[in-house]
Amino acid sequence: MSHGHDNPILHPEVQMSSTRGYFTGFLISLVLMAAATAMVSSHAFPPFGLLMVITICAAIAIIAQIYFLLHIDVSEHNIWNTVSLVLFIPLFIFTIGLTWWMFSQLYLRTMPMMPGMH
Amino acid sequence: MLVQVPGGWNPLLGRLAIDQIPYTNPILAPLFVAVVIGAVIILGLITYYHKWGYLWKEWLTTVDHKKLGVMYIILGLVMLFRGFIDGLMIRTQQVWANGPQSSGVFGAVHGYLTPFHFGQVYSAHGLIMILLAATPLLVGFMNIIVPLQVGARDMAYPYLNALGLWITAAAVALIMISLFVGDFAHNGWFGYAPIFELQYSPGVGVDYWIWTLELTALGTTLGGINLIATIVKMRAPGMTWFRLPIFTWASLSANIIALTSFPALQVALFLVACDRYLGSHFFTAGFGGNLMLYTNLFWIWGHPEVYFVILPAFGMMSEIFPAFSEKPLFGYITMVAASFAIAGVSWLVWLHHFFTMGAGPDVNSFFSVATMLVGIPTGVKVFNWAFTMYRGRITYTAAMLWAIGALFLLLVGGLTGMMLAIPAINYMVHNSVFVIAHFHSMLLVIVYAIFGSVLFWFPKVFGFKLDEFWAKTMFWLFSAGSVLVFVPMYMLGFMGQTRRLDYVFNTAWHPYLVTEEIGIAVYCLSVAAFFVLLYVSIRDRVKNRVGQDAWGTSRSLEWLTHSPVPFYNFAVTPHVNARDELAWRRHNGINEAQPTQYVDIHMPNNTGVAIYIGALTFVLGFALTWRMWWLCLLSLVAIIALMIVRSWRGDPGYIITAAELEKMEREAMQRQQQVEGHLPHHGGQAVPGGAMAYEGQKVSPLGTPPSSGGDHH
Amino acid sequence: MSAHDSPDPSKAVLWDTHYHGHDVISTRSFGYFLYLLSDGMLFATLFAAYGVLSYSHSYFNGQTPADFVHPWYTFTQTVALFLSVLAYGMGMSAVKKGNKAGLMNGLIAAFVLGVIFLGLDIHDMMDLAAHGVTVQTSGGASAFIVLTQVHAAHIFFGLLWILVMMAQVAAKGFTTDTVGRLLSLRMFWHLQAIIWVFVFVFVYLWGYMS
Repeated sequence: MSHGHDNPILHPEVQMSSTRGYFTGFLISLVLMAAATAMVSSHAFPPFGLLMVITICAAIAIIAQIYFLLHIDVSEHNIWNTVSLVLFIPLFIFTIGLTWWMFSQLYLRTMPMMPGMH
Repeated sequence: MLVQVPGGWNPLLGRLAIDQIPYTNPILAPLFVAVVIGAVIILGLITYYHKWGYLWKEWLTTVDHKKLGVMYIILGLVMLFRGFIDGLMIRTQQVWANGPQSSGVFGAVHGYLTPFHFGQVYSAHGLIMILLAATPLLVGFMNIIVPLQVGARDMAYPYLNALGLWITAAAVALIMISLFVGDFAHNGWFGYAPIFELQYSPGVGVDYWIWTLELTALGTTLGGINLIATIVKMRAPGMTWFRLPIFTWASLSANIIALTSFPALQVALFLVACDRYLGSHFFTAGFGGNLMLYTNLFWIWGHPEVYFVILPAFGMMSEIFPAFSEKPLFGYITMVAASFAIAGVSWLVWLHHFFTMGAGPDVNSFFSVATMLVGIPTGVKVFNWAFTMYRGRITYTAAMLWAIGALFLLLVGGLTGMMLAIPAINYMVHNSVFVIAHFHSMLLVIVYAIFGSVLFWFPKVFGFKLDEFWAKTMFWLFSAGSVLVFVPMYMLGFMGQTRRLDYVFNTAWHPYLVTEEIGIAVYCLSVAAFFVLLYVSIRDRVKNRVGQDAWGTSRSLEWLTHSPVPFYNFAVTPHVNARDELAWRRHNGINEAQPTQYVDIHMPNNTGVAIYIGALTFVLGFALTWRMWWLCLLSLVAIIALMIVRSWRGDPGYIITAAELEKMEREAMQRQQQVEGHLPHHGGQAVPGGAMAYEGQKVSPLGTPPSSGGDHH
Repeated sequence: MSAHDSPDPSKAVLWDTHYHGHDVISTRSFGYFLYLLSDGMLFATLFAAYGVLSYSHSYFNGQTPADFVHPWYTFTQTVALFLSVLAYGMGMSAVKKGNKAGLMNGLIAAFVLGVIFLGLDIHDMMDLAAHGVTVQTSGGASAFIVLTQVHAAHIFFGLLWILVMMAQVAAKGFTTDTVGRLLSLRMFWHLQAIIWVFVFVFVYLWGYMS
């Protein structure tokens, strides 16, 4: 517990940087984003299918970035970051998901159905 | 890009002009004079006694978590007083402006407040009580107690701690200056779309409201990060998770809520600001905006915030009950689990603030059930406290009375909350004063817990006890006031009185309103009793001095160091061996054991940067409110520059050598011996120590209560 | 339960003279990570607002993202930002070996690429304004612009921070303070890339297709 007095460069959080990992994260997310852009701009699938496909692309890209870039894993020096991220993720989902749900229900009851409304 | 504002604007002063100062207002003008006179007297006294240097060195630039905590609490108490005055004004207006025959003065048709002024008063009342009274009070206690309870020397980030305080103080200053320069929002403390849009509220009141909230949110987020990091990273050796004192657990769960929910408030208010300053259409009635989106975003924060303020209060009660029942807390693990269950569920209930939006049966049912689920962990807590007291050796100190009072209020508030969780009932009483009475019951739980904690921890911070007689007098007066104000309010709610009435049409309600007014008068007496309490206690401070373990029955680590706590907290970091470390040491007769060897301590330096940045955030908020763009830019650049300068300089800290430490410790020990030599023997606390049960001990089953004698160890 | 295995009081250690306090760098980076998560919540709330204001009626019969988003243009922003993040990562790998010049190169590359990202974003916004899409146009346009520009504001402050760190490292080298701040900035900069994935896919791309 006394890393504070040691050479800061030897701190495990500095030492966990990995060129290879950064390259891998970069390549995975860039390829996925390129694929998503290509599919969307050419309207490769019907809208709902397209949404599913780009959501999957985004999910994989996010996981790759979180793992390779933010070093979120269960090692001793990252465990608290991981725990706090895991605690936050449901809250992100609640915030966006429940808001979206309640307003879609509200619009269903209060807004005139217009063409193209989702 | 920027929208045109109605009225005048000039590049130098923005919207500020002499006619924005309400010098003709018959209430505010005399108040202003009184404030100026009061300020001159205080500043004069400080100058006369040459205390400026002391104030600057010891308080304004401090990074000591205890002093920052004390300042948070003073700030909170001042704002509690201001919020109380607002409450008094609301009650007086309603009892006065009752029925068409009621008289009116100061330009009001009925009562003494015009509707616009009344709107500002209730908006300020709500905002102040929740965010600028309850929150600073609780943050203050967490600041003082949590590092001591985990055996740390300070918070994880002492400078950030100071920054959090001064930003909160800037928010307080902003809402206070709105009394005398311009006006305040009249849209309720949580705001409604579209009334806060520029079109309907062209004045600066809403802008004051936005920036006050933004600054508080910023300060509280910083504090939350600090407390979580302190608890996770700074625990003393041996302080495993399940040895953490329960107040620390409660603070942890509360600050997780603060950290996660305050960004939602910041976004909600930021979007209102976009509407008002940039002319966007988030919450406008036309142009594709959505009025209810604001309410939704606000309550995403708003409901977790309710638990952010109630959970530390639960933690305080969980510390007070065992200490004065001389028993370990019943069901420690379930208490921790309940805190986190409440924190978790708090994220699934926010729609119950607007069931009547009409999102439909599916949505309303989901949020209704989730709201009722909160009752389960809360029930667990209530039973745990009851079982803690059951067959304990209860001492009815004033602190214990406040805690028991909080328990009763929690029952009242909790059960009415269960009623409100049912959408069918909620539709009936929505926006009635029944709701007001419900949440005041809940917030009074916090007030009771805070006053209990003030009494409980005061000797730890200042080294002497508060006077028991006046503390109890205050308790009974305050409780009588609570009953007189809120029981009639529940009844009026069922009779159909809606909230925020500046004119109450129904004369049949007059007796109830008069009862409430009497309750307010009793509250005033309790406030007077509080001032007497402070005066008497400070006068008798030598007589009431205490040693390390002020109550002789407390259990956690903060009572292991001197009272008042030295600036370095613990001379040597304690090694924790049991859940209730002090109770364990006392039980084994080693609670007086002192370290034999001292080592150097590294401490952070004081810094003035935090208060400068706090002052600049106030300037920024003021400039944004009045749309003085040059000043906004200037203060923002100055804030960033100060941050860069501070980051460049860093803080090497300083060292207290082992020899200095030993000298200070010896002096502290001598003081303590003097105190304990003539410590008055309390009748209620017959056992001076050693006889108290602790968690690791084999407590005999219910047949022989632990309080039945000293033969069980 | 931990309390039950309390040690023998006569032999128990009561004071820990050898305790050296907390790990400064870890404590700081943990706190900073907590701040970043709360920043993530800020974006989550903005996304929630965008979700509510991205129905067709939200655009008040004005232009929708389907009219004004150019996926491949925004993709170049993506490339710039990802490259900037990669460059910063390379710089941090150089820190591992105590290579100051390597870090400086990484920071300069990250800064330049970040400026390119921001330039492309500003150009895009000016283009939108020229076509009559501003925050004042409709609720949907407000949500679109404010969400993307809050992300851009993060990039702006990140760039400022990169400059400050370049100066600090140049003047002071690798101390506990500077290395700790480089770690925090690493997390900040990487998180901007993560947020950008959400912004790009669910605001730009999804907006374009619906």
